[in-house]
Amino acid sequence: MFARLVKESFVRNPRRKLLTAAALVVGMAVTTATLTIALEVGDRLAREFRSLGANLLVTPESDTLPVEIGGVDYRPVDEGAYLKEADLGKLKTIFWRHNIFGFTPFLDVPASASDQQDKSPVPVTLVGTWYEHNVPVADGTTFETGVRVTHPWWKIEGRWFADGTDECVLGAAFAGRMPGIRPGRMIYVREQGVEGKTAAMVTPLMVTGIVSTDDAEDEAILAPLSVAQRISGHVGEFRQLFVSALTKPADALAERGERAQYDKNIQLTPTEYDRWFCSPYISSISYQIKTVLPSTDVHAIRRVAETEGRVLDRVGTLLWIVTLAALVAAALAVAATSATTVLERQEEIGVMKALGASNALVNGVFLAEQVLLAIIGGVIGFIAGTALARILGTSVFGSPASPRLILLPIVLALAAIVAIAGSLLPLRRAAHFEPALILRGG
Amino acid sequence: MATVVEIENLRKEFGSVRALDGISLRIDHGEWIAIMGPSGSGKTTLINILGGLDSPTSGRAMVDGTDVARLDETGLTRFRAEKVGFVFQQFHLVPYLTALENVMLAQYFHSTTDEKEARQSLERVGLSDRSEHLPLQLSGGEQQRVAVARALINHPKLILADEPTGNLDEMNEQIVLNLLRQLHQEGHTILMVTHAPSIGRLADRRIELAHGRLAHISAASLRPEPV
Amino acid sequence: MMFWRLVFQLLRGSRGRLAVAILAIVSGAAVISALLNLDLGVQNKLTQEFRSLGANIVISPANSTPTMEGAATPSLMREDEVLHSLQRLQSPEVAVAAPYLYIVARTQDTPVVVTGTWLDQAQRIEPTWKLEGNWISSRDDDSHCLIGRAVARQLHLAPDGQLELGYVNRRKQCTVAGVVDAGGAEDNQVFANLHAVQSLANLPGQIGLVQISVSGAPDNVADYAARLAVALPSGVQVRPIRQVTEAEGSLLGRIQFLIVSMVVLILILTALCVLGTMAALAMERRKDVGLMKSLGGSISRIMGLFLAEVGVLGAVGGLIGAILGVTLSYWMGLRVFGAAISPRWEIFPVTVLLMIVVAMAGALPLRALGDVKPAVILRGE
Repeated sequence: MFARLVKESFVRNPRRKLLTAAALVVGMAVTTATLTIALEVGDRLAREFRSLGANLLVTPESDTLPVEIGGVDYRPVDEGAYLKEADLGKLKTIFWRHNIFGFTPFLDVPASASDQQDKSPVPVTLVGTWYEHNVPVADGTTFETGVRVTHPWWKIEGRWFADGTDECVLGAAFAGRMPGIRPGRMIYVREQGVEGKTAAMVTPLMVTGIVSTDDAEDEAILAPLSVAQRISGHVGEFRQLFVSALTKPADALAERGERAQYDKNIQLTPTEYDRWFCSPYISSISYQIKTVLPSTDVHAIRRVAETEGRVLDRVGTLLWIVTLAALVAAALAVAATSATTVLERQEEIGVMKALGASNALVNGVFLAEQVLLAIIGGVIGFIAGTALARILGTSVFGSPASPRLILLPIVLALAAIVAIAGSLLPLRRAAHFEPALILRGG
Repeated sequence: MATVVEIENLRKEFGSVRALDGISLRIDHGEWIAIMGPSGSGKTTLINILGGLDSPTSGRAMVDGTDVARLDETGLTRFRAEKVGFVFQQFHLVPYLTALENVMLAQYFHSTTDEKEARQSLERVGLSDRSEHLPLQLSGGEQQRVAVARALINHPKLILADEPTGNLDEMNEQIVLNLLRQLHQEGHTILMVTHAPSIGRLADRRIELAHGRLAHISAASLRPEPV
Repeated sequence: MMFWRLVFQLLRGSRGRLAVAILAIVSGAAVISALLNLDLGVQNKLTQEFRSLGANIVISPANSTPTMEGAATPSLMREDEVLHSLQRLQSPEVAVAAPYLYIVARTQDTPVVVTGTWLDQAQRIEPTWKLEGNWISSRDDDSHCLIGRAVARQLHLAPDGQLELGYVNRRKQCTVAGVVDAGGAEDNQVFANLHAVQSLANLPGQIGLVQISVSGAPDNVADYAARLAVALPSGVQVRPIRQVTEAEGSLLGRIQFLIVSMVVLILILTALCVLGTMAALAMERRKDVGLMKSLGGSISRIMGLFLAEVGVLGAVGGLIGAILGVTLSYWMGLRVFGAAISPRWEIFPVTVLLMIVVAMAGALPLRALGDVKPAVILRGE
């Protein structure tokens, strides 16, 4: 009988329920959309931050002082320590290998260059690096990386050199000083002569483009790492490695973990250690890199890492606040419209009570109806909200936000609770009125 | 005596239903007319048309020289404010206005409000000590008396009452009927719909409707005669 | 006067329904004004965060090479010319600017990069530097220097240690005031005040670079750079630092879009809620509309009454809500950014107006009763 009452009540006068239904659908859609996005935004934004470039720097442990201005090292090739190129594949074997977005090795060689074979050369640094290079990884796959990933703001006019070939690109400032050299022509490079050593062989390189880096590399010639290695006599080696990693903003645990690396007074408990290791903090990723690349110093490039951390933190908190606002707004909308609907139907309540229905029965029928409405509205709202989140995700991040089914029961529960809460107050008031009063006051 | 109402061949159709099927009628100044008949006979439709609350499908309905059937909505609005005063069965007082304000509402829509005059009107119906009460605080009879005060306030040519005592108990019914009697004695023209013969006998003439047509007209002092 | 008496009485009646309505309006207005205020403040605060990336504009000679010991004549700029132009352009958005001169000197037989700059600005231009020891507070202090931690480690130096720098045949002594942990290339450099380095390298009045950290949206930065380019002498170029400005621009754009979208969604939801509640309230007035028509009220006068009623609701509720909302956003600003977001006064009229419009929109369906005969309205109950 109860079910019948509910069904009758529900089916009658659909127009009155339209308002509550609309509030439910829109409210739950907005709730679903904001929750879905808030859950994902951390990851998405972290990926976007990689456009800032590398956030880790790997250098040989026992090195002489780099003579570095604006990113170019001016030391002679026989000074200082080197790292092995062959070790680089190991970077994709660490625990956080999927967070290694990219890495690029650099080898800077003091050299000189001329636009004709026999003309007297001008001094210039030859920067050996990768643009797009396939690194063999232990599991048989290859990983493509290079400055395309770690230095995305470098702009090329023409095209980049092909990996492993005798091609090069000129830094924009250097190209400005050598008017005879343009993409398509050759440039003749030799190692800078050092006292006691005869000048090295001349290596002709084909210029394929001009690069604008906003830094000291604009003064240099950039060539494949293999070319620089050959000219400098350090085959298979490089000086420094820039790594771009997807990290999680540092918090208290991250800092403890970092300090524990060099401060013997700070020890992590085994649980803490596990949590730290299994979170992609920049300190734990650094630690893992140091483990697979022996004799290295791994340091966060702090201005990138810290800015990223701070902005992500703020944006994260902000988005959760906005999500909370969405939840509150949705709850209010549903509660208000539920309350309104109940108030509108006071006459019905009066009639039912005049017929002898108890307060409990009246409340029961109405609340059951609201719950039913909430479930239907909630499901539709969830679907709409998921679609909305997809659209938002695509417009902001270029790929749709994935639907979270876990949200469905949460959203339905929320809808039901709020619909009930909204109805309770007016129902309670109606319970106190005499049926005659309600029927008369129409 | 001047003719207040002259109806010629009045028809009103609601879809396929003929609520009024060619009614012709004349009411003179100062008459108290009772319109009677079973439910569905068209009495409420007739009084609504005369009050400007509804429009006929065809025919002429002159009230104080104005053909209600020809008026547009603006004209009808003025008509309702100036020419007629309506008393409903369900009173239809605005629940959140006091008795005084309910009367002043009618003044408001007519021209300007005059609180003194409104008070006098309430005094006329014996409710001067209830002027600040809300309808909720008044008995049915008192509410209807306020409605009468409201209907009178703009000095209408015609007072229309649709089952004015239908929702009242015996005692209040008498009070309201007495009020109507007084108004009649003062010379007001009253058109009243009722289904009760005892109330109908109070009027000068009784007009009976059946199926939207005139069935009977009888005067108080004459024997009933067929149309 | 009767008009407002009627409106007042309208408001006083139907208390139950009105309570819900006013609650909806107040909360709606609070949410809207809080989010609007927050949204306006976000861009500002975030661009401030991005300044910890360092300088975003660089002034450099049209072509430049580093100053190596014994290198060919370097291309430099005249300090006074450049800085004078910079000052003349006196722009409030400039957070901090400093000139730089890089030379490669020798110490303990090791080549080391020596950076000459205004050390009193160092901390402001590089907020991510950590220091062991003391900052140098005056740009005229010739006897102190800061060294990067790699330098300190390599040369076994600590605060208060002595450092001797040599360039060609000139020598300079300085005391280490502090060791810098920069988390970047600066760890390998020695920092001294500009004049000291200029005299060591015998390049009086010359600088190699000016780094500027400009706060504000990326558009403002580009605009400022353009104005700077016009003001500066020839032979000198101005560039926004792409790594910083591009990333910042792209990120800010996305974040802003995301937040704005979410805010818009919530605004629509809130407006719907208010609209719905108002419409329900207005519907309850149906019978009164019928009655008033029967009394000779024209639909425009009747609508005037009801629009005034919901309008007052919208205005009062909107104002209370706006005050609540701005207070809320103040608190939220503290929570998110650690700094209060100062309320923008424009939020108040905008919110109140929005609420009035939405509330009135809810009453508009009553207009449809304009053509309906009073008999019909009064009959259907």
